[in-house]
Parts: sequence; structure tokens; C-alpha cells
Amino acid sequence: MTTARVLPLLLAFGASAAFAQAPTSPPPAAPVRPAALPPFQEAVLPNGLRLLVVESHEQPVVSMSLSFPAGGRYDPVGREGLADMVAGLLTKGAGGKTADEVSAAIEGVGGSIGASAGADFLTIRADALTPNLGLAFGLMADAVTRPAFAPAELSLLRTQTLSGLRLELAQPSSLASRYFARELYGANPYARRPVPKSIEAITRDDLVRFQRLRLRPGGALLVVAGDVTLATARRLAMKALAGWTGAAPVAARAAAPPARAATDILLVHRPGSVQSNIVVGNTTFGPTDPRFYALTLANRVLGGGAASRLFMILREQKSWTYGAYSDFTRPAGIGAFHANTEVRTEVTDSALREMLTQLRRIGSDPVPADELTAARDALVGSFPLSLQTADDVAGAVAQARLLGLPANYLATYRTRLAAVPAAAVSAAAHSAIRPDRAVIVVVGDATKLYDRLKAIAPVRLVDVDGNPLPPAQLTARAAALPLDLARLVPRNDSFTVMVQGRPFGYQRAVLERTADGLRYTEETAIPAAGVQQTTTLTLGTDGSMREVHQTGKAQGQDTKIDVTYAAGRAKGSATTPAQGGPKTVAVDTTVAPGTLDDNAIQALLPALPWTAGARWTAPVFASGLGTSLTMTLAVAGEESVTVPAGTFQVFRAELTGGPQPVTFYVTKAAPFRLVKVAIAGTPIEMQLAK
Amino acid sequence: MRFIEALTGCVILAGTAPAAAQEPARIATESYSLPNGLKVILAENHATQVVAVDVWYNVGSRNEVAGRTGFAHLFEHMMFQGSAHVKKGEHMAMLERAGSEGFNGSTAEDRTNYYEPLPSNRLNLGLWLEADRMRSLAITDSSFQNQREAVKEERRLRVDNQPYSRSIFEEAYTLMDPKACFPYSHSIIGSMDDLNAARTSDVQAFFDLYYAPNNATLVVAGDFQPAETKRLIEQYFGSIPRNPRAIPPVTCDQRFGTGAVRREVKDPNANLPAVINIFRVPAYDSADYPALELLSVILGQGESSRLNRSLVRESKLAAAAPVLLNPFGPRRGPGELIAFAITNQGVAIDSLEHALAAQLGRVASEGVSEAELTKAKNSYRAGVITGRQTPLAVAEALQTASLFLGSPDAVAADFQRHMAVTAADIRRVAGAYLRPDNSLTLLVSAEAAK
Repeated sequence: MTTARVLPLLLAFGASAAFAQAPTSPPPAAPVRPAALPPFQEAVLPNGLRLLVVESHEQPVVSMSLSFPAGGRYDPVGREGLADMVAGLLTKGAGGKTADEVSAAIEGVGGSIGASAGADFLTIRADALTPNLGLAFGLMADAVTRPAFAPAELSLLRTQTLSGLRLELAQPSSLASRYFARELYGANPYARRPVPKSIEAITRDDLVRFQRLRLRPGGALLVVAGDVTLATARRLAMKALAGWTGAAPVAARAAAPPARAATDILLVHRPGSVQSNIVVGNTTFGPTDPRFYALTLANRVLGGGAASRLFMILREQKSWTYGAYSDFTRPAGIGAFHANTEVRTEVTDSALREMLTQLRRIGSDPVPADELTAARDALVGSFPLSLQTADDVAGAVAQARLLGLPANYLATYRTRLAAVPAAAVSAAAHSAIRPDRAVIVVVGDATKLYDRLKAIAPVRLVDVDGNPLPPAQLTARAAALPLDLARLVPRNDSFTVMVQGRPFGYQRAVLERTADGLRYTEETAIPAAGVQQTTTLTLGTDGSMREVHQTGKAQGQDTKIDVTYAAGRAKGSATTPAQGGPKTVAVDTTVAPGTLDDNAIQALLPALPWTAGARWTAPVFASGLGTSLTMTLAVAGEESVTVPAGTFQVFRAELTGGPQPVTFYVTKAAPFRLVKVAIAGTPIEMQLAK
Repeated sequence: MRFIEALTGCVILAGTAPAAAQEPARIATESYSLPNGLKVILAENHATQVVAVDVWYNVGSRNEVAGRTGFAHLFEHMMFQGSAHVKKGEHMAMLERAGSEGFNGSTAEDRTNYYEPLPSNRLNLGLWLEADRMRSLAITDSSFQNQREAVKEERRLRVDNQPYSRSIFEEAYTLMDPKACFPYSHSIIGSMDDLNAARTSDVQAFFDLYYAPNNATLVVAGDFQPAETKRLIEQYFGSIPRNPRAIPPVTCDQRFGTGAVRREVKDPNANLPAVINIFRVPAYDSADYPALELLSVILGQGESSRLNRSLVRESKLAAAAPVLLNPFGPRRGPGELIAFAITNQGVAIDSLEHALAAQLGRVASEGVSEAELTKAKNSYRAGVITGRQTPLAVAEALQTASLFLGSPDAVAADFQRHMAVTAADIRRVAGAYLRPDNSLTLLVSAEAAK
């Protein structure tokens, strides 16, 4: 045979060889089959409740969701968090059953029930296997029509909510998003968030009123998905909800979000922060706006995943962050776009500039075909993955109907996305993403950020509680504390040292006048931690430091400090606990005028001119470490505290700039007595006993 | 139990429907092997337009030897760094672009899995990516060093930064004796010292031994066409050579009931102290295992569980009190049942420790009620049934039955053996395993040990 004839045979043989070679490049997509979404049927019950049923008999499971226009936006002013608490308590006892009886009943059949509130809607969901559908329906119906709101359950939920809130408010990302919502929405109810005060204000009457007013069949939507028919669902609904009446609650018109003419930056000062949280964005449009599909594509390109521009540039290229994203919301009212990231303090301004550049670019430059195709493929491709279970389907169908989207929304989602022309994508971005009129919130260390951010846009500076901060305070130089020694009343105070609310030791603090000035003696004992220390300070009649002496034990090691202050110098030696054993430091250094020993701060607190918003920055010598510091004492708020010695109205002041931030609670009125000390980040407190 | 509790227990659960004979639908499977040893299991179902590709390698932390821990977990990272025809970063980008969501891998004591749920028309991509990295994972000095750093970062974020993580991810492994049972006495994340001492050639050797088709099972579940799928599997995986060397055997001679061990663990993130009781339990295929699973539900899963009712709601000693059984997955050797109670503000840890011990001991001394047994079975049943709704969950169920019970067809038998558990079985296993002399107790708090 000639080669010409052998070759084709060889090739033919190769193609069908037992071990065909695997392709060296990824295979292309096979054709997509048309969407096969289960159809749904709708009915309206005599009492006005809308019922939607999605049948799927693949598995004997049923998922139900009952939604009401009763989200957080309907919380009365001063009761923010009410909708959340109503939702939390619906399943904690209803229709004559206690919370334990409800959970035993639903868990007894392997089902689940729970409720939650978003901004617009409150939804209760239940899942069960087919034979237990009636039981689940009954529990759900009782929860919304006859909730018990038992005082003990309210109390427990309130405690849990307050704990959660405390944790949340300590996180800079939460602060950033709260301030962002406020700036974006202004008087519109979407701006509001629960705070400890609003949670504490909620009463059982509030819960009952909210439930009666807003949890009615009119305006509500019941979706049942899974192994059920419309007839069965209707029968169960009519039976379980017999006698439940009520027209849709009146919707008060919400104030429009504020119009913005320009971009500015709200800088929330978080002293010592090593990272900044940045959020940039603007309000957009209502849920049925035709720009939705185009904006979905634009957002995916801009910041909707690990292949997006924000992620690739800020993380992969510049290594400024672990993640940078963008998204836009689709609530019942006006939605909002936002882009956010968390970066090292030093690159905050660069990151913000880059974000703004990308936000401009997505609207001004046509999106290249390859990026757009990748985004489209990802969104179209992943759609079926979001609708696998009965629960998924119930949720998606409910959301679409509640927002007033057309009945064929889910069925046509993919084709409508695929049909958006490229030009429409940048046009939608141009109109809906507005870096020229954006809200920008940065939470971080303003001492390092203020000037650099000012170069990007006008900056408004506030502290973490939202109080305006004069920029001058950022560069406040340490000055001697304005002490008025006449205010110092000789005293003999005893404090109980508490760890997690249990007594673990004591501290006695004695202030006496001497011939030369003042003597302050502090005796601390915390046996369980091996702490036994006595510190004696002497000060001159003008309040200047004279001597510090400390002896004792801490963390099982000896401590001893003997330092003398004279003629602008601190001299002596200090032995303090350290990792490998007590560390001794020789002290011999100049100190700024008015420098206080760090052990003296607590003694001198009553001598300060205490007012709301007061703030002092002073030079301090940490004699135990032998180092000079600048510490800031700032009044952060006012509250009522109860300690063994009584209940007092106090200023809460934070001391920062040292190795351990501390919070002092000093009475608002003279003699400005210290009643409590809390050590930040620990469960340790000292409370005045007498 | 006190009279009133016994009565209340009965009244509360009286309304429970007995097992309403809802059986999970049978999963239709087809199993075969390629000449190179790759096991293939196909489970066709057109209820969704999703298909899951799920590969299990028969390697986990149990295969590691002293001085070489952390390798199995290191691979969870290395496998996403590119292979002969996939550049670094491309694996995830390609899957995202194809519409895959929830793709990932995970390492457990007994196995390592890699999975990607996909829209049906992209099955070919999932199979191709799995084959390319099984054949030709790119192991270089730089990818090894990068991923070693990534593992350290993960450890920092997960183990060091989250409250109680160190106890579950590391301390719990001291439940087993390293001399008798090294495979299960060290953590999955491994020792940073071992990883720092490892060389790239060690990593390559580990890959060659364990990441071979004859040490792997491929499951495809969901919306696919069998003929075309088999053709693709043959085309992509067929030419990957098998590893001819024998896998070193895994031996574990752990004794149970060797005495109570109690230890304090300092965890700076634990702003509320916690007490963790850990008990040794037998392997997944043991006759006692289903009773232990149902016992875990009764004791510590859900609002109506014994620990939640008594410790969280009634006495308020605990903020939470869950019970976990083998949190990282089933084992072919001794495992752990973990009862974990977090103190409420102001509660002394010894009060909670005693209350927890009392509740755990009650099951052995008094047993469980028929209503509790029914609840546990219903909970288990509902979990299995709802799990059947997604192709990925079906794939994982088949893999589990295949590795731990010998065959994917054991899925149905596994369900049945859970339904056959009696109240007496539960009382018996509680007595046999939930004993102080078979336990490790960790007292976790933020302060220095007293």
C-alpha cells in the first residue's frame, strides 16, 4: 500500500483507538435546553390572601412561605428592630402551645419553621414531608394569627438581640454599612437600623400592635411549593386560617431618598484602625425598572465575582485587599448600588480613587465583548443552580410576586438577560452608577486619612457614634491636663474586681492630702490571677508628679517600680511581668512638662473639667515600661450605671493611646467620682462598692 | 428523671406522628470501572437542569505519617492552582464563567473530595477539569510555597481567629492515642512545622501515590445523557495511568474507655467560656453507629433537643449546647461525639460542666422515650429526603455509601439500619460510649489557666 492510502486508515484507526487522547483545551459548551420551570397556579382566597402553588412531585417534601408587608421599614420611630423581634417571637409560642411545644411538634416530624424580617417584608417559612403538611400549616397559621408573645420569651430574645447588636456595632464593616444606609436614604425608612436604645424600648404592646396591624390576609402572599396540588393547598389554607380577616394595611408614603448634587466623603474616625472599610454608592430605581437586566450584566463585569474588574484590580493586581465587590439591591422601594472593600490604611486613598475610576469607566466605555460574554454566560448558566429545591423555588417565586414582577419573570429570566445588547449595558451603568453624586463612607483611622481623602472629595469627619469631630482634634498635640486640684476630695474608695459579672478581687484607692501635696495609694488584689499590688504616688501641690512606688505580684511574677520625677526627668527602675520572666528596665529620661505617670491617671480623674464631648490629649510616662506615650481621654457618651455602691448618671470616657484601652465611668456631677472601670476587650471590670 | 419531667416529656411529644412510612426514593445508579482503575458511578435524574461532578480520592489525614502531617489538606489548595492545560487561576474562572456555583473541595480524615455543580450543558467542562488535574497537577516550588502560605493564612483566619475553633480543629484530636492510632490522633490542617520542613519532592511523591485513577471514585449525578457521558469519561480519563505501587495500609488500634482526661484550653477569642466533652465512638459501618447518630439528634440538635431545653432554655446555664458527631465526616476508624456547651454571661464553667455531665449520663441510666426516638428517626428521614433534591447531595450520598459501606447500593440499606434503631439500642450505646472513662473534656476560656 502506498502512504497515501495507509495514512487515512491510520487516522481512522487513531480516532477510534481504545485510549483516545484527551483534548488539550477545555471543551466548548453543549447547547442549552430551554428552561423547564414548573408552572405555578394562583388563587385568591375569600379573605384576600393570595395563594401561589408550584407543583413538583419529585420528592415528598413541601416548602411554604407566608409573606407580609411588615418589614423593618414599618418600625415606628424609636422602635427600630420591632419587625425583627416580632418575627423572632412568632414561632416562640402560639395558639395555646408554648415555644417548647411548637418546636417539639415540628421537629417531631422532622420539619422546620422559622420567621424573619427584611426591610420590606416579614416572612414565615415552614418545611415538612408530605404527610405532615397539615401539621406544619397549622403551626404556621397559629404563629401569625395567635402568637403568644410570652414575656419570658420577649425577655430572652431581647437579651440575645442586644448581645448580637453589641458584637455587630464593634465591627467596622457594620459601622460602614449603617452609615452608608443613613447617608443614602436620609428620611426614607430604609435608612434606619436597630440600636440598643430602640431594642430596649420595645414593649409587648408594640409587638401585639404591629402583628394586628400588619399581619393580615390582605396584602399577604402564601407560596406553597413541592409535593402538593392547588386544591390541597387551598383546602389547608382555608381550614387553618378560617376566621382570619383583615384588609391590606395602609402603606404610608415613604419620604424620597435625598437627591445629591455632588460626591462627598463621610469619614468615621476609628482610632488605631489598621484597615479602612470603604463603601461607595447611590440610589438607583424601583424593582420593575427596565434597566434591571442591563444593570445586572454591568454589575457582574464591574464587581460581581472573582473575575470582576474591582476584584481583579484591587486584589489580584494591586494586592490591596482580600476582596472588592459591587452589588445593587432590589427592594420594594428605591434600590441602591454600592461597591465596597476593606484595605490597609496606607492605601485607602489609592483604593478609593481606583474604585471611582472603575465606577466611571463602566458607564463611559463600552464593555468589551469578551468580558460581557463571560458575565452573561455566568449569570445565565448559574440560574438553574438557584432553583434546585422546593424551598429555592418557593423563595424565588415569592420574591418575584412580592416585587410585582410579571408572572413569567422566572421563565424568561435567562432569555431576557441574553437579549440585552452591549450598548444597553453601559447605558444602564451610566444612568444607574453615579460616582459624580455618590455617597462615600470610610471607616478608619482619620489621623492618617483625613488629609489624603480631602484631596479626593470634601470630607465630613465624625466619631464612631456619629458626633461631628473638628479636624483640629486629629492633630491635637499632647498638652498638660487642665487639672483643678481643688476638686480633689480626699477619698477612700473600694472597688470590686468583677470578671464576667463574678467577683474576683478588690481594689482600694485612697487619696490623702499631705504637707507637700497629695498621696494616692492603690491596693489591688485578684487572687485567682495571682495579682497583689500596692502602688503609692505622690504629687506636688500643683499636681505635678513626684514619685511612684509599686510593689507586688502580677501573673505570678514580682513587680517593683521606683521612679522619681524631678526637673523634667523621670529616673529610677521598673520590674514588670513579661513572657519569659520579670523584665527590669532602668529609667532615666526627659519627660515633657505636665507628664503624668500612667498610674496617676485614675487618681486624678475627678480633677478634670468633665463635660459632654470633652477630650484631652496628654503626655504620659508608662513607668512600668519606661516609655513616653501620648494618651487621649475622650468622653464618648452618657449613661446610667448600677454598681454595688448605687446607681449613678455617668460620663463614659475612653482612654486610648496606651497598651490597653480602658473605659472610665465618672459621675456627671461633682465630685466626678469614678464608679466603674472597664478594660476593653476583656470581661474584667472594677465596680465601686463603697 | 424526675416525675414531672417524665410526664412533661411525654405530653410535649405526644402529638408526634409516628414514622409515616415516607421512604426516600431509590437512587438509580450504574457503576463500572475504567481499565486504569477509576471507579465511576452514574445517577441520572432529570428533575433539575443541574449536573454535579464529584470526585473522591481515597486519601485523607489518616494516611499521613508522623513528621508529614498536613499534606492531604495542602492538596485541597494545590488542586486549584492549575494543571498541564489550565493556567493558575483559570480553574475557578472557567467554572464561574460556565455558571457553576458552590464548587469546592474539602479534606477530611478519610477522604478528599472535589466537586462542581454545573448547568447540564457544561458537564463536559467539569469532567475535563477533573481529568486534567488528576493527570497533570502542576507541582512546582513556587506553587507549593504559595499554597503553604495560603494554608497558614487559612489557619490564622479559621483556627486562630474564630472562637472555639482551635478546640475542634486541633485539641479534639488528642482524644486518640498517637502511638496506637496516629492516623486519627492528629488534625487535618496538620503541623506548620511539618509543612515548613517538607520539600517539593515530598509533595510530588504524595501526589503520585494518592492522586491516581485507581485511588479515586467519580460520581456524575443529575441531568445528563448516559451514553454521551460515558464517552466523555472514557475520552478524558481513560489515558491517565494507574499508580502501580501499593498504598501503605492505615492501622489504628485505639482502645476505648482508657480513662477520663480533662484539660484547660486557652482561647483568646472565646469571650464566653465553654465546656466540650468528647467521646470515642466506633467506625461508620459499626452496628452501633446509627444509634449514635439518633442519640446526637435527641441530645443536641434542634430547639427541642434535651440539651437545648435543659441547659439553654430552662436552667439558662448555656447560651448554646449542640452535639456533633464526626464533624468532618464519617470514618473507617474510631471517631468522636462532641457535646459542646457555651456558658451564658456570668455562669461559672463548673456549674455548666456538671449540668452537662448529668444530662449526658441520664440517657444511659434512664433511656429515651418512644417519642424522642420517633422524632430522631423523622429528623433523619427528612434530612435524607430533602437531601435528594440536589444532584450534589445525591452524589455525596453515593460516595459515602461507596467508601464507608462498600457500595453505592448500600444507600438504601444505610437508611434502613437507621430506621431499625430501638430505644434500647440508644440506651445501650449511651452506656457504652458516653462514659467519663471514654472521654476528653476541654474547658475553654480566654484567660490564663488557673
